[in-house]
Amino acid sequence: MDLFDNLLFGFGVAFSLQNLIYCFIGVLLGTLIGVLPGIGPLATIAMLLPLTFNVGPVAALIMLAGIYYGAQYGGSTTAILVNLPGETSAVVTCIDGHQMARQGRAGPALAIAAIGSFFAGTVGTLLIALFGPPLAEMALKFASPEYFSLMLMGLVAAAVLAQGDMVKSLAMVVLGLLLGIVGSDVNTGIPRFSFGMAELTDGIGFIVIAVGVFAVGEIVTNLGEPTERRFLTAKIATLFPTREDLRRSLWPILRGTGIGAFFGVLPGTGPAIASFSSYMVEKKLAADPSRFGRGAIEGVAGPESANNADAQCKFIPMLTLGLPASGVMALMLGALTIQGIQPGPQVMTQKPDLFWGLVASMWIGNLMLVVLNLPLIGVWVRLLKVPYRLLFPAIMAFSAIGIYSVNNSPFEIYLTAAFGILGFLWIKLGFSPAPLLLGFVLGPMMEENLRRAMLTSHGNAAVFVTRPLSLAFIVATVLILLVMIAPAVRRRRDAITD
Amino acid sequence: MSDRRSLMLSAAGMLLALTTTVAAQDYPTKPVRLIIPFPPGGSNDVVGRLIATQLSERLGKQVVVDNRGGAGGTIGTEIASGTTPDGYTLLVISIAHAVGPALYPIKYDPIKSFTPVSILATGPNVLAVNPKVPVNSVKELVELAKKKPGELFYASAGVGSFQHLSGELFKLMAGVNVVHVPFKGGGPSMIDVIAGNSQYVLSSLIQTTPHIKSGKLKALGTSGTKRSPVLPDVPTIAEGGVHGYEATNWWGIVAPAGTPPAIVAKLHKELAAVQDSPEIQKQFATQGASTVKMSSEEFAKFIGQELAKWGRVVKDANIRP
Amino acid sequence: MKLTIYGSRDFWAGLMLIGFGVLAVLIARDYPFGTTLRMGPGYFPSVLGGLLILGGLWVVVKGLRSGEQIEGSWSLRALIVVPLSLVLFGFLMERAGFIPALAVLILGSAAAGTEFNFVEVALLTLFLVALCVVVFIWGLGLPYPLFAEF
Repeated sequence: MDLFDNLLFGFGVAFSLQNLIYCFIGVLLGTLIGVLPGIGPLATIAMLLPLTFNVGPVAALIMLAGIYYGAQYGGSTTAILVNLPGETSAVVTCIDGHQMARQGRAGPALAIAAIGSFFAGTVGTLLIALFGPPLAEMALKFASPEYFSLMLMGLVAAAVLAQGDMVKSLAMVVLGLLLGIVGSDVNTGIPRFSFGMAELTDGIGFIVIAVGVFAVGEIVTNLGEPTERRFLTAKIATLFPTREDLRRSLWPILRGTGIGAFFGVLPGTGPAIASFSSYMVEKKLAADPSRFGRGAIEGVAGPESANNADAQCKFIPMLTLGLPASGVMALMLGALTIQGIQPGPQVMTQKPDLFWGLVASMWIGNLMLVVLNLPLIGVWVRLLKVPYRLLFPAIMAFSAIGIYSVNNSPFEIYLTAAFGILGFLWIKLGFSPAPLLLGFVLGPMMEENLRRAMLTSHGNAAVFVTRPLSLAFIVATVLILLVMIAPAVRRRRDAITD
Repeated sequence: MSDRRSLMLSAAGMLLALTTTVAAQDYPTKPVRLIIPFPPGGSNDVVGRLIATQLSERLGKQVVVDNRGGAGGTIGTEIASGTTPDGYTLLVISIAHAVGPALYPIKYDPIKSFTPVSILATGPNVLAVNPKVPVNSVKELVELAKKKPGELFYASAGVGSFQHLSGELFKLMAGVNVVHVPFKGGGPSMIDVIAGNSQYVLSSLIQTTPHIKSGKLKALGTSGTKRSPVLPDVPTIAEGGVHGYEATNWWGIVAPAGTPPAIVAKLHKELAAVQDSPEIQKQFATQGASTVKMSSEEFAKFIGQELAKWGRVVKDANIRP
Repeated sequence: MKLTIYGSRDFWAGLMLIGFGVLAVLIARDYPFGTTLRMGPGYFPSVLGGLLILGGLWVVVKGLRSGEQIEGSWSLRALIVVPLSLVLFGFLMERAGFIPALAVLILGSAAAGTEFNFVEVALLTLFLVALCVVVFIWGLGLPYPLFAEF
């Protein structure tokens, strides 16, 4: 079989000592920068790029890819342990993952995140090998009307994130959308809500809001509470998931992988949509949705699988069409070009060692990550025993350096402090911050695509329903809304799933 | 001002000149900071890092890259303009330096706040259409656009981006009405043209050439005054019918105004040697760019011309953020 | 606990939403609004601001009716000192260098807590600063001077 031969050839390439070492360095470094908030794969890869000029294209790409998906693994660790999402894709993991940690179940949460990610990574790798080119062609069918309708559907997911008051959660989404608007308008270039400050013309960084609200705001809130009520008090029950945990996680992992792969192939979607959608699906399908937000393992398993599948499948448009789906992918394309390789469909035939070597190394890298992360769980969990009075200054230090490193800008540090105060107010007034971040991430993309769709259709709003793919998403959105609005419908649905 | 004070001032000036000459001889004695006014990853960053690595070797002191992105490069440029002019802070500039003042509120003078050191390289864009568009030359594209005013679309990397400005200059000089569809970055704008939603894009050779070779895009013309060695069969846009059209990106190094001439001269010399290194030649070639040499004075004049040219395009095309 | 409007959680929550909404609508008036078919840059923010005001009103009414109070205690000291030490960090990074800025941040935020023990905090600061220098400056190669002189 052709595929089998190719993969075998790929493993032959990837298993050379040099490539294994670069793969290991990559995933290790990726895990490290993933755990540290603020320092993302984009900046790290950019800094390392000149170092890769001399190591040959295969090894260079293997290492850079390792950093990229290693960062995904590391990001979920911080989200689960200290409730701080370092990447947009980890926001959802905070919701149930951190609750699990508070109940002394950080071990199972971390383990299931690693296992789910490994499974998703494996499937993602296979998808690249089997269906890369046709999937990428499909992705080109998506234009702004499709993206807008898709994101509308994603935004409906926000309502599911609601814990407690629905109106307040939705208000947080709207506030997030407004925060996302800050900066130059994509269509006209007019700076909006920038108050004349040049620093705001590029908008507010995700990490500024995430750290401001989740780290600083949370710390200020905690310090106001009596000592015994702070942070973790539950005893650590077990390090590894129970049979029950695994049983509960099986389907969420499978579904999350599917959802992540779908979004991963589309170049115009960010990493957050996949994990949010997976969370929405799991909560809707659950027999008892009230467990969500209180440490449901499905809420970790699904989104974590989804975001890793998404990350892997982002390679499909990059490798098969030479089209970058994200900033990181653009950098990797740049790395290839610097090495004298023209990315595009011809890479598969002209540079089979690169293509199949990379595919094989992705799987090896994912395996390394599991092997690296499972023993680390013990170390991480022990970290939770550090008294809070010692832990929070450390969180402040890492977060501050992380934010500063993005643009070397003191202004962003000041902004983070401001969001810390706002975050404190929001927490005290009973708002949950996750919907805010969802709105913040989706808002700009939605507005951009909506207005682009109106521009290219010469102001004809019918494009959203006359294009079949877009129509399909609109119909799905309406269906989801109906299911949510009519509790009677939902009850009947739950009875069927039971 | 009293005579005594002016005497003291001139004495101080002489002393300063003396010390700086001495300083230039053993310059640099500590690491040099190279400000890149863009976040990691873009063409400015790649160019800056390439140069930093090579310059470190030649100067014998580390050249530290300092990314200060934001507001089309104007934030990092402003930071550089306020640093001590002692040769230990340098700034990478590109065509964005000539466009920024017209688009953003700036607190520096793009000419007077800086001492030009060296231009490094220039790189043209290529006008690429989706293969389904029934045109085979720039002339045919212009004819098609004139036949269907306001119905064609061109994609760009965003309002005020080089892709946008070279696109607006094209529209102005060809006298056509094509709708601008802005994206966030060069990747998405290219995807849009490959997918056939927009008809054409003017984007960098490094990004576009692979798609031209694989047949997903059709090259109609390059934006330089001469044909590009990367695509020797593709005529320039000027040859193709829009006479006098030129929109070329460039990269260079400047220092804050007042940097001692001896240090500028030394840097200019070292940068020239860096430009000649086969490594740099190769790297620029893969980027679709080629190294250029000018004296510091010629570079200063060039910056002034670019500022005037693109400032006018921003005004004539009514790009008002 | 006395139930008052001053302690009503949703009353203040709603007011805050209305405040943000009004701010958004006011500022967005400076941007071209456009029409639904040809949206200007002011369209989206105005609509969102309006939605926030509506949501805020709803929450205010709910707060006045339920009278649910703000929970838990809070510390003015933490609210001032933690953000302030962050601001100092940003301010000192360029002027004093990595180590002084970081030390101020760690000392400052530790001082915001109630269990401040000088020896312990000093040791913590030493340890964290050393760790950060190793990880960020030497390990990841971030280009910051340890002290303001390069």
